[in-house]
Amino acid sequence: MEFKIKLGNILAIIIIFIFFLFWEIFANYEIIQIALFSKPSLIFLKIYDNGFEIIGHLLTTLYRLVLSFFIAMIIGIFFGMLMGYDQHIYRFFNPLITTLMAIPGIAMAPIFIIWLGFGDPTIITIGIIVAFFPIVYNAAIGVRSIDKNHVNAAKIMGAKKKHLFLKIYLPHSFTYIIIGVKLGLARCWRTIIAVEFIAATGYGLGYMIWDAYEYLNVTIVYTGILILAIVFFTIEKTIIREVEKKTIDKWGVLHEQVS
Amino acid sequence: MKKNQEKIKIHNIKKTFEGGNKVVALENLNININENEFAVILGPSGCGKSTLLYLLAGFEKPTSGKIYLDGKLIKKPSPNRGFVFQDFALYPWKTVLKNIAFGLELKGISKKDSANKSMDYIKMVGLEGFEHAYPHTLSGGMKQRVGIARALVYDPEVLLMDEPFGALDAQTRKQMQIELEKIWEKTKKTVVFVTHSVIEAAYLADKVFVMTARPGKVKGIVGVNLPRPRDYTDDNFLKVRGKILNLLESEVEKSMQQKQEIETT
Amino acid sequence: MFILPFIVVIPIWEIISQLELIAHLPPPSLIFSKFIFLAFEEGVLAQHLIGSVYRLLIGYILAVSFGIFLGTIVGLNKLISDTITPLLSLLISIPTIAWVPVLLITLGLGDETVIAAVFLGGFFAITYSVIHGIRTVNKNLINAGKIVGAGKYKLFESVLLPGSLVSLIPGLRLAIGYSWRALVGAEMLAAMVRWGVGKMIFTSRMSNVIETMFLGLLIIGIAGLLLDRLLLFIENKTVVKWGMVTEG
Repeated sequence: MEFKIKLGNILAIIIIFIFFLFWEIFANYEIIQIALFSKPSLIFLKIYDNGFEIIGHLLTTLYRLVLSFFIAMIIGIFFGMLMGYDQHIYRFFNPLITTLMAIPGIAMAPIFIIWLGFGDPTIITIGIIVAFFPIVYNAAIGVRSIDKNHVNAAKIMGAKKKHLFLKIYLPHSFTYIIIGVKLGLARCWRTIIAVEFIAATGYGLGYMIWDAYEYLNVTIVYTGILILAIVFFTIEKTIIREVEKKTIDKWGVLHEQVS
Repeated sequence: MKKNQEKIKIHNIKKTFEGGNKVVALENLNININENEFAVILGPSGCGKSTLLYLLAGFEKPTSGKIYLDGKLIKKPSPNRGFVFQDFALYPWKTVLKNIAFGLELKGISKKDSANKSMDYIKMVGLEGFEHAYPHTLSGGMKQRVGIARALVYDPEVLLMDEPFGALDAQTRKQMQIELEKIWEKTKKTVVFVTHSVIEAAYLADKVFVMTARPGKVKGIVGVNLPRPRDYTDDNFLKVRGKILNLLESEVEKSMQQKQEIETT
Repeated sequence: MFILPFIVVIPIWEIISQLELIAHLPPPSLIFSKFIFLAFEEGVLAQHLIGSVYRLLIGYILAVSFGIFLGTIVGLNKLISDTITPLLSLLISIPTIAWVPVLLITLGLGDETVIAAVFLGGFFAITYSVIHGIRTVNKNLINAGKIVGAGKYKLFESVLLPGSLVSLIPGLRLAIGYSWRALVGAEMLAAMVRWGVGKMIFTSRMSNVIETMFLGLLIIGIAGLLLDRLLLFIENKTVVKWGMVTEG
């Protein structure tokens, strides 16, 4: 992946470095309280000492993310395209989806804890739900926004239903599906972390952070945040960009983007 | 007959763009334009004609050389010039009236007077009834009429037009050429008009400055002394067209070669 | 037409619950009676809502003010915006909820933490949208302003500012969603907060009153939806009216 060597990026890295430097200095000279803010040296030490444990938490969270996201994606794209294709299905489900989409994942946690207990079942289910809605919503819009003439052109050339689906509907709605997938992924991991605060037992980045908080272990709390920033920033910049490059950039933007 | 004074003097202009590849857009460019003259800058794509217009407007500065308007050096954009953009550049959040009145209000003219004067120009370009419409509801031709009205309303010394009809379809384009001609006849402003269309040049110009391929300079000047409005099918018109084409042809080939070179590097 | 699915779903739900086909699923009738009870007899519902809305407003208004201010300063200068934008992307990658433990430790367990969470939720999105909006104003719009005589301040006020709305207003809409979700999360985690819709769900879990939980969910969902629609309305009256977006 190309990393743009711009002056701006270099300055950004310098600023981050200076930030950590000042943080360390202020903490050492007790200008800010270590009990509240910890310091970079402690954080790096923590990562060095407990590296494996931390990676374990990270992998658990990632596992939950990947599992729930992929399930949501498959169901979401399928159902979304179905909705987009059939006007009646759309009219019936759209209000439901719009309403349910507005519910924050963390608010669902207490109910799901009663139904499914603590741990993976709750976390993954809620992950699936919050990722599902943006995907289904945008996939439906994607199919609905297809130029009727493209479909007609294919039909007149003798395309059968399966061909229509694969060669016309899927590529044309892809721009919107990608948007839905981006949104769904973002909501998914943000919600998983939040639900892990409440519902995780033993593993997961969210669990790690919340558990550390309850013991007032500030260093681990900051460690967790740091790891979240790095991991998810990287995921969004690399994986998403790669997928976008191989698809949208190759096919050209077929529709104006919807933010 | 009024003595034709020199209105615009473009003197030894050189313009380079730094960047990935250094590009010399214009070099050794000298052009003199007289008052009330309709001057057309014609050239193949990439020859720097739009760049020249941006220099005249003051949106960019020349790398070396000077441009004078009425004997004074041009340093930055100022309302003694009017500009019509190829992509219209209308403010989407302002109505047609407000877009046109903007320049007047900046001069300190009262809202009421600005509105009145703008209405006059709206009528002049044939858009009466659309003064409260938003630009995105207008067709391309209508948008450009707003652009022309906006550029003329504050009575600039010179009107600069950057391929103003380039984004319009052939029908509308022809219509706009005729309309522009009529509007110009009323005010006889000094105009610098950039285009790559030979017919457009022959129809509108008093003088056509044919540019070379990049780096752009003047290859030749064709004076068009035909009475107005001109007839596209008239023999003399066709002769002038031929003269211009001759000058232009080899330059178009050169510019296409340059394009291919860029694509292969 | 919007009501259609609900007319179908609610009766089916009622039947399923009454027949206890799914465990722990309160019927809509029970949820509704709880609503009446909490809203009118006990009157606490209003207090919860007011508590939440109060915190949302303060946090969001702060986010909008600081966001527009910072975004403008950064957006006007290319070097600064090239530097700050990657940093902003990095910070946006951190879920707002992850900041809550830090806030709880540094600001305590009460209102301040929730307001700070609301602020963080909206701030980054707004700042980013302002920067993006200013940087992507069509150059010729700026040129058109220059040639009719607009000076630096006038250019900013009459061209850059309105021009950036096409990015800012959708950004405001995104931000209120983030802020609302941050509010709910923070209320659930902040122990000293008494009133709030998030708190309501949390305490009802403690007392295992599942219909209150459902009620809370519905209220949160509807409130979130209303906020989004409110900003959609603003979007329609501005950038859509001016034709500056292609789809709502």
